[in-house]
Amino acid sequence: MSTPAIEVRGLRREFRASQGLFAAPRRVVAVDDVSFSVPAGSVLGVVGESGCGKTTLARMILGLMEPSAGEVLVDGKRLDGMDRRARARLIQPVFQDPFSSLNPRRRVSDIIAMPLVAQSNVTTSEVNRRVAESLERVGLSTEQGTRFPSQLSGGQRQRVAIARALVLRPRIVVCDEPTSALDVSVQAQILNLLAELRRDLGLTYLFISHNLAVVEHVASEVAVMYLGRIVEKRESEALFRDPRHPYTRALLDSVLTPEPGLGVPDVGLGDIMPDPANIPPGCRFHPRCPACFAPCAATTPRITSLEDGLVECHLAG
Amino acid sequence: MSTLLQPAGASDRRRIWLNAGAILGAGIVGFITFVAIFAPLLAPYDPFAFDLGRRVIPPFWMEGGSPLNILGTDQLGRDYLSRLIYGARVSMIIGVATIITSGIIGTFLGVMGGFYGGKIDDAVVFAITARLSIPVVLVALAVAGFSGGASFTMVILVLGLLLWDRFAVVARSTTMQIRNLDYVAAARCAGCSPMTVLLKEVLPNIATHLAVVATLEMALAILLEAALSFLGLGVPPPAPSWGLMISEAKEYMFFSPWIIMIPGIALFVLVLGVNLLGDALRDMLGTDLSR
Repeated sequence: MSTPAIEVRGLRREFRASQGLFAAPRRVVAVDDVSFSVPAGSVLGVVGESGCGKTTLARMILGLMEPSAGEVLVDGKRLDGMDRRARARLIQPVFQDPFSSLNPRRRVSDIIAMPLVAQSNVTTSEVNRRVAESLERVGLSTEQGTRFPSQLSGGQRQRVAIARALVLRPRIVVCDEPTSALDVSVQAQILNLLAELRRDLGLTYLFISHNLAVVEHVASEVAVMYLGRIVEKRESEALFRDPRHPYTRALLDSVLTPEPGLGVPDVGLGDIMPDPANIPPGCRFHPRCPACFAPCAATTPRITSLEDGLVECHLAG
Repeated sequence: MSTLLQPAGASDRRRIWLNAGAILGAGIVGFITFVAIFAPLLAPYDPFAFDLGRRVIPPFWMEGGSPLNILGTDQLGRDYLSRLIYGARVSMIIGVATIITSGIIGTFLGVMGGFYGGKIDDAVVFAITARLSIPVVLVALAVAGFSGGASFTMVILVLGLLLWDRFAVVARSTTMQIRNLDYVAAARCAGCSPMTVLLKEVLPNIATHLAVVATLEMALAILLEAALSFLGLGVPPPAPSWGLMISEAKEYMFFSPWIIMIPGIALFVLVLGVNLLGDALRDMLGTDLSR
C-alpha cells in the first residue's frame, strides 16, 4: 500500500488549567492518543460536539500548537521540526470564520500572495501570475482582488481564504468548520467549490465539522470524536447507514428533520455534559450511553477493527 | 421617488457635536504646528532681544499698551508675542519627540508581552508596574541634579523614557486580542516569520489604538514639560517655553495677571486641541481607552 498523504500517530494534547497559587493545576486532556491516516485524494471528515477536541487536533496538525505527544507525517515526512516554509508547501488551513481569518488591513490580492511571498524565492511577476490564477480558480474577479476584505460578502471572503490556502499548491488542506459561519445559501457553493478543487488539484482534505449533513456530503471517511478520542472511524457511507458506536447513533439521531412540529429529537444522552477535565473511568462515554452495561464503567474498551473501519466500544466486535 | 429623511435625533446631534470637536481639535493642533514650524517668519521680534527700558508693557488693548508689542513685553522687555510663538516650538518638539520615543519603547514592550505571553509577558507586566511606581517629577529632579542642570534634551529623554506605560498597556492588550485571531494563525501557516507576522499582521491592526494613545500622551507630555519648566527642571532660560514664561512672570502676577494668563491660555488651548483630536479619533474608531 502506498504512503498515506497524511498520517497522525498517537497525537495527544494536555492543558494545565491553573487553579490559583496553591492548588495543583487541573489537567485537561483535549486530545488523547489520536491516530489515523488519510490516503491521497480523499477526505476525512472529523465530527463531534463542541469541546471534543476537533479544533485542538486541527491546530496541532497545522503546527499552531505543540502536541504533548505524537507526530504528524505528510507523505511520510515528519512535520515537527520542519522548516516553516517547507511545511507551508505541504499543509494549509481554511478556517471557520472568514471575518477573522482575513487581515482587515490588507488587500485581497496581498492576502492571497502572503504564502508565496513568505517562500521568499518567488519573483514578483510569478507571485502576481499565481495570485491571478488563484483568484480565478475560486471564482473571484481581478477587480475583487484589489478590494479590502470588508468590501466582500461572507462567501466571497471564504473564497479568498481558500485561494490563499491553495496558492502554494499544498498536499493537505485542513478545513476547520469552513462553512459553519456562512449563510445556508452560500454553504453549498463553498462545499461545491472545495469538492471541485479537490478533484482538479488532487488535494487531500481533513474536514472538521459539527454538521453531519455537510460531512456526509464531502467526506469519503468519517471519524467521530468524543472527549478527545476517535470512537468510530468508518467509510462515510457505511457510518451513516449503519453506525456502530452508540455515540455516533445518538449524533445521527440528533439531526433535526425538516418536518415542523416534531420539536428537538430526544436522543437518550441525558443532560450530563462531558467535561474534558474530568474524564470518566472505563469507557469515557458510559455516563451518557443509552446502551451502557457492566464492563463499561470498569474497563476501557479496545479498538475493534471492522471491515470498513474502527470502533471503540464494548458492544462492537 | 421617495427619499428617506431621518429626523435629527440625539445621535445626529451627537455626531455633529463630535465633528465640531474634531474640526476644532484638528484646527488648533494644525494652527499651532504651523506657528511652530514657521516661527522665524511669523514672530515680529527676536524672542531673546531684551530692552530694559520697555519692561512689562501690557497687551495693546489694555491701558498703557503699545501697538508695537501686540501682546506686550515681559519682565526683561522681550516681545511677548514672539516668545509665545517660539514657545509653541518647544511644546510641539517636546510633545512629538516624547510620543515617538515613548511610543517605540511602549509598543515594543507591549507587543512582545502580548504576542509571546508567558515569561516575556510577566517581565513586561513587571516593567509596567515598576514604571508606574516611578514619579516623573522626582526622576526629572534627580536627573537634573546628577547631570548638573536641566536641559532641553534632558526633558525629552526623561519624558520619552518614562511616558511609555500607556503605550505598553494598550499595545499589550490589543496584541493579545489579535494574537488569537485566525488571520494570525493563517499567516503562521503560510510560513511567515514571527517578525513578518508582527509587522504585517499585528502592528497595522493595533496602530489606530496606538494613535489614540499618542494624542493622550502628547497632551500629558506638553503639560509635564510646562510643569517641569515651571519648577526649573525643564527647559532652561532664556528659552521661551510656556511653562518657563509662567514661572518667570509669577512675581508680577498680582499687578499684571495677563503676564501669566497669556502663556497659560496658550497651553490650555493646545492641550484642549490635542485632547479633542484624540477624542474624535477614539470615537471614529469606536474604541474606549478611558480608565
